Amino acid sequence: MSEAKQQVEAAQESFNLAFAPYAEINLNGSGLAEAETLLRDLNELKVRHTGKKSELAGTKKLVGRLSPEERADFGKFVQSAEKEIAEKLASAEAKLNDFIANARIERDRLDVTIPGRRPRTGHLHPITILRQKIEDIFVSMGYAIEDDREIETDYYNFDALNIPEGHPARESQDTFYTTEGFALRSQTSTVQIRAMERRGVPIRIIAPGKVFRRDTPDMTHVPMFHQIEGLCVDKGITMAHLKGTVTEWLKRLFGEDTVTRFRPSYFPFTEPSAEFDFSCFVCHGTGSVGGGHLAVGNEIEDYRPTANSQQPTVTRCRPCKGSGWIELGGSGMVHPNVLKACGVDPQEYSGFAFGFGLERMAAMMFNIDDIRHMFENDVRFLEQFR
Amino acid sequence: MNISYNWLKELIELDLSPEETAKALTRVGLAVEGIHPHKDDFIFDIDLTSNRPDCLSHLGVARELGVVTGRALSAEADSAPDIDDSEPDPEAVPFPAVLAPEVVRIEAPELCHRFTARIIRGVKIGPSPKWLMDRLEAVGERSINNVADITNYAMLELGQPMHAFDLDKLAEKRIVVRTARAGEKITTLDEAERELDETMLAICDAERPVAVAGVMGGFASGITEETTNVLLEVAFFRRENIRQTSRTLRLATEASYRFERGVDIENLIRASDRATELILELAGGEAADIVDVYPERQPERTVRSTDISVAVKRLTGLEVAADECERILAALGIVHLGGGEYTSPTWRHDIAIEEDLVEEVARHAGYENITDELPPAYGAGEYQPTEQRKRSLRHTLSVLGFDEAITYSFVDTSHDMVFTPVPGLIDASVESPLVELRASVIEGATRMRPSLVPGLLDAVRLNFNHQRKDLKLFEIGKVFASSGTPGGLPVEKEIFALAVTGGVVLAESSAATRPLDFYDAKGSLEAALDSAGIPVPSFTAADIGHLHPGQCSKVFVNGRSVGTIGRLKAEIASDYKFKQAVYVAEIDLQTLLAEPARQAVYSPLPKYPSVIRDVSLLVTGQIMYDAVSSFIRENGGPHCRSVRYVDLYKGEGLEPDQGSLTIRIEFLSESGTLTDAEIDEAMAQILDSLHKAMNIRPRI
Repeated sequence: MSEAKQQVEAAQESFNLAFAPYAEINLNGSGLAEAETLLRDLNELKVRHTGKKSELAGTKKLVGRLSPEERADFGKFVQSAEKEIAEKLASAEAKLNDFIANARIERDRLDVTIPGRRPRTGHLHPITILRQKIEDIFVSMGYAIEDDREIETDYYNFDALNIPEGHPARESQDTFYTTEGFALRSQTSTVQIRAMERRGVPIRIIAPGKVFRRDTPDMTHVPMFHQIEGLCVDKGITMAHLKGTVTEWLKRLFGEDTVTRFRPSYFPFTEPSAEFDFSCFVCHGTGSVGGGHLAVGNEIEDYRPTANSQQPTVTRCRPCKGSGWIELGGSGMVHPNVLKACGVDPQEYSGFAFGFGLERMAAMMFNIDDIRHMFENDVRFLEQFR
Repeated sequence: MNISYNWLKELIELDLSPEETAKALTRVGLAVEGIHPHKDDFIFDIDLTSNRPDCLSHLGVARELGVVTGRALSAEADSAPDIDDSEPDPEAVPFPAVLAPEVVRIEAPELCHRFTARIIRGVKIGPSPKWLMDRLEAVGERSINNVADITNYAMLELGQPMHAFDLDKLAEKRIVVRTARAGEKITTLDEAERELDETMLAICDAERPVAVAGVMGGFASGITEETTNVLLEVAFFRRENIRQTSRTLRLATEASYRFERGVDIENLIRASDRATELILELAGGEAADIVDVYPERQPERTVRSTDISVAVKRLTGLEVAADECERILAALGIVHLGGGEYTSPTWRHDIAIEEDLVEEVARHAGYENITDELPPAYGAGEYQPTEQRKRSLRHTLSVLGFDEAITYSFVDTSHDMVFTPVPGLIDASVESPLVELRASVIEGATRMRPSLVPGLLDAVRLNFNHQRKDLKLFEIGKVFASSGTPGGLPVEKEIFALAVTGGVVLAESSAATRPLDFYDAKGSLEAALDSAGIPVPSFTAADIGHLHPGQCSKVFVNGRSVGTIGRLKAEIASDYKFKQAVYVAEIDLQTLLAEPARQAVYSPLPKYPSVIRDVSLLVTGQIMYDAVSSFIRENGGPHCRSVRYVDLYKGEGLEPDQGSLTIRIEFLSESGTLTDAEIDEAMAQILDSLHKAMNIRPRI
């Protein structure tokens, strides 16, 4: 019996000797590779000392030599030795695994602030962005979107729009002509005529498109730009409907608190005529920014009080030049001569029309200082819009 | 137009402050752009619409204020003689009948409708008194001498331009109004010699032109310090003629500005009287009777409106009582003759129909009083038929990294016939197929573009100059060509183009991960067309004018040639100073979108797994992938489901004209899982027929 126990103790002793480096293991200052080597060695040690061919396992065979009374006692003795070894191994193993897991986390830690692998997506042109928004608004209000030719006859560009030969607007040097005598349309009002001829009345359309004027490019002029023309003809249409419609779509684009202003004006194709303005979308009609008014978009950056200034700085609002109003376009009741040119009886039908320039509107909305950028297609410009 | 607040107060009793006055004027359509203090006065900068030449004077502006305030013009201002509406008496006109022809003769009555002249003898030319100089200075006019200043002053007050001649410099002291003779010359007051032509109206003495009618007087007959006798011209000329002369001579003056917009033909005598009165007061002298040559009195223009109040309501929605309508119109000088007939004042050239009267009432009743109403509900809204497909295309391209460009629709001549346009745009039989612009004066605008590519290449160059070398751009827009039929409108076609150059870049990264090439351009094009519901295009190598031989292709959809794609030709790239390859594509979008969008059709999902085999084939440069893959698809046996491209290898281990084309063939059966033996057999058959039909062997 004691001989058997001695063998067990010897095995234990031999384990303890081999395990000594792990008994009080201190990994401070160790590297991952070192820990991994230790773990590998520990596993080998484990196989050597606890496996089926281990010294300890060999002692189990001694049980046969013992008397039945001694066997139970010896069994317990062996088990307790086994348990002690297993616990020591498990504890060291756990320590190493813990260390290795942590070390691996450290090794694999990411700089999550490095830019994501994001494909560079492109950008629609600001004119497209604005046109699509406005088209969406008008379609939701029951309008059809129309467009037509960009090179027109004088009839569609002038005569049918009540601009007869000899009229100043017609003789102005603004209009481009082809050598064959066709005009590059100088306003999208041409589509009023084309669309009424095609669709008849009642009609509700808007017509976005390119127009051309012989202006030498500068910060506020370009020889080609975009307009949107609106036309509504039906029985009983009045200027109240014109005002209501223009106000409604501007509210949908710039917010519920937008108000409009109509001023008497003159256009050959409308009578009565009006220019329309809307309350500035940055200063909300106050003309100044910084006095507690919130603004939208990137415009506010220019007006936000600087961090170290105590008083909020009140600055003249830029888009409306401090007037609180932004002049947008022309409008009026369709001139009876225009209706007649389209075969519509002005006694029976009346209608309103309005038009405005998209570049001007985009320049205001996006705070663009030089309108020529619109057609240079500088990517540094284009990628600012979405 | 500069208008003095103090001057207005001389013409109408005004208890509005300058700010209130400005507001009131803006409200009725005389937009005051600014109020500028000047000494004890305020000057309004008024932006007038071209239909209101009557307001190019203090009298006209005062008249508008009279409607606003309800006050009549002060006696002096309203001293216009009553319009004589009796039939012209041939004995009375011209007046004085006997003297007139000796002083004034109108030889072109169709261009000069009325001419008055008054001779004032014994004037002393000198500086103007201070009040007059101040007045002129306040509205931005320069003082010259007393007589010249008075003609200017009377114009600014009453709106009627006039001219003072030195009577003694006029040959035979007489005036002949006639068209100029071709080549006739005159040195005008600005000391420039100008050549006249037969379209221009000239005020002449017995020998030569002494003024360009309605535009500027002559230098030789002008007022000088030595002048003692003056002939004062106050006249009315045909508007269109003055405009044309002013344009032709490139000479725009205060006078021409007013004459071409229209002055008041019945205001001449009063204007002449006013100037004469001031000349006698400030320069002395003695005035003779006025000579008034008025060959044909213009008929009075009338406007019909049976119920103006109803008409205002019908067009504007405004409720304006009949008597208020009448008050407004009367204050504007629009007289109700009874029975719905209104006169159109001789100073208003813009009142011809009932709608014009409605506007007069509405602008004074106030546009701000018109309510905001939406028209009653009507039909459903609709986009243009192709809009949603174009939006898909735009969206797809932007997701793929393309920025949308909009370039000018005109180009210069340097691109003529360099770029091959989309098929069908240019009619080869037309002598000059491009749409040319006439005297456009705008740099770079001589042609309407037949291609979007030059515009995109300009954008590429601009971005290169800003160190942006990795670019993907697209544009949707119209191109143009002559119709080929005489008098026919040019062809307009909406097309789509893209340009790619440089490398693949990530949003936040500075370096390109790999260079872009032909297949990037092609893939983007295919993705864009697919998103717009356009059938799968096919590509056929071809020679294309602006593209690099061997690296370009025609694009076909449903067997129809619709555009081109490829690398920009070296010569053109070098013209643009491009140092890296640029790939461009251009597609006739309009034709493709005219056909309905492709409709998705479901095919049942396979029940059994498919088996994939890759094979590398030894090909020569003449053999295209497309030919190989379609051959296999057609001859691959019943289970050959698809053939796809894996790789084309060239280089080490191969002859220079050889390539190793690796393809992937997918086999699938509807009736069970295919065995290796079945696949082997199918593969063997494919390789055998490839060899027999195309002399292609697998690479071992």
